Amino acid sequence: MLEFLRTAINLISIIAIPAMILIILGWGFFKKVKVYEVFVEGAKEGFDTAVRIIPYLVAMLFAIGVFRASGAMDVLTSILSPVTNLIGMPPEALPMAFMRPLSGSGSLGLMTEIMKAHGPDSFTGVLVSTMYGSSETTFYVLAVYFGAVQIKNARHAVPAGLIADLFGMLGALFVCRILFSQ
Amino acid sequence: MLNYIWISLVAIAIVAAVGNDIKDEVQNSYRNGIPMSATFVVSKSPAGTAQMWEGEVVMSGEAFDQFYGIQAQKSDVRQPVSVAVSSNLQGSLLLPVTDASPEYWRQMAKYATTKDRLTGKIQSIEFSPNGSSAQLRFVLESIKFVKMKAVTQAALDFASTAVEISIGLIGIMALWLGLMKIAEDAGFILILTKILAPLTRRIFPEIPPDHPAVGAMIMNIAANMLGLNNAATPLGLKAMEELNKLNPKAGTATNAMVTFLTINTGGLVLIPATAIAVRAAAGSSNPGIIISTSIVGATCATIAGVAASKLLQRLPRYRKDIES
Repeated sequence: MLEFLRTAINLISIIAIPAMILIILGWGFFKKVKVYEVFVEGAKEGFDTAVRIIPYLVAMLFAIGVFRASGAMDVLTSILSPVTNLIGMPPEALPMAFMRPLSGSGSLGLMTEIMKAHGPDSFTGVLVSTMYGSSETTFYVLAVYFGAVQIKNARHAVPAGLIADLFGMLGALFVCRILFSQ
Repeated sequence: MLNYIWISLVAIAIVAAVGNDIKDEVQNSYRNGIPMSATFVVSKSPAGTAQMWEGEVVMSGEAFDQFYGIQAQKSDVRQPVSVAVSSNLQGSLLLPVTDASPEYWRQMAKYATTKDRLTGKIQSIEFSPNGSSAQLRFVLESIKFVKMKAVTQAALDFASTAVEISIGLIGIMALWLGLMKIAEDAGFILILTKILAPLTRRIFPEIPPDHPAVGAMIMNIAANMLGLNNAATPLGLKAMEELNKLNPKAGTATNAMVTFLTINTGGLVLIPATAIAVRAAAGSSNPGIIISTSIVGATCATIAGVAASKLLQRLPRYRKDIES
């Protein structure tokens, strides 16, 4: 059953884009929209939007980049390791919890590294890959999405995003402990 | 809040870099000025007048670890080297660092005078009678301020990465915005929003249920769940732009924007393709095992995020930003 569901979802994600393009174009043509003209008109905005994001993304990635390069993560991990022991999280997984909201490439690298060291099917390996799949790179999404509409005052977006990440990480730990605990 | 987090990241980074460099200096982590002993296995002896040898520096992994006070080198060290000895017995050596080199040396070479090679001075070299090997004592060049250099490099690198990412978005942005415009003009989006109106009205009470923003948000969330990142980002940005049209105060996020953003940062994906691919590459016997656990984790994140955005938006400190 699960296998069937997986194949089905995989199939849907493969045909989704061609299907969406066909439906939109077909529908537009049927409704007598001047498809080519309207497409070009809409596409024009693509350039502006992408360029508008640049300053926001530079600000965000620069801060995250220097943070990653400085070795501050190791310091943070050692300070917080008593807390992780308390909730039954392997200490190796803690940097992942910090890195996930900050950097997509950073957390991808961490996941690969941890799996190489502990094996992909070890508890730590399953946990870090679940953590990777349980959240998006909050600060990147924030910079891109708010950058596109020039939002400078993010209001409660950061605390809300971080609460989401915290619960995502705790949820990943919880479900992995129930299903795969040694 | 973003101001504080931003400055904290940068300030912590610089303080940590200075701290780490001072620690390295005090512990002499890179053993600057301390001679290392190793066997030199000769593969090419000098020809003609040049006193140049080529070969490998060989030492056991334990000896390497002991020298640097680390526990990292699992296999024995076999590092290609070229050795030059001048007439007054002053010698120098050059280690071209490759993937086969010890990880520690690879890290050091990143911050050496010339990138990807370590140089050193030979203190003594004693050849065996047949000249096929030698006992070598050498001091590698001093490696200093590693983290400070790394921070500088990262600042420059990530600034250009940001531009590359944005420029890379232009094409797919244009494609999806073009398609969305057709979908909008054809009334396709309107139909979509009507079907899902009962749900969206609850999550985004401020947005009129037939507003184009709703359609773009629905398509963004659907693309995200299917793992179609290339489509999800342009659709999400389109949704943000539509939401911004309802924004009475430019530059300040509305409640709906924050809620929509947390749905995106929750990252609910039906098939976490990247994680599965990495697991498969690492030789997992069951790479797909994390599908169910990831869905649970991401559902927790999404529900918590939406709930948090709804609760936090009532706080006076966040209300005053949009009311004043």
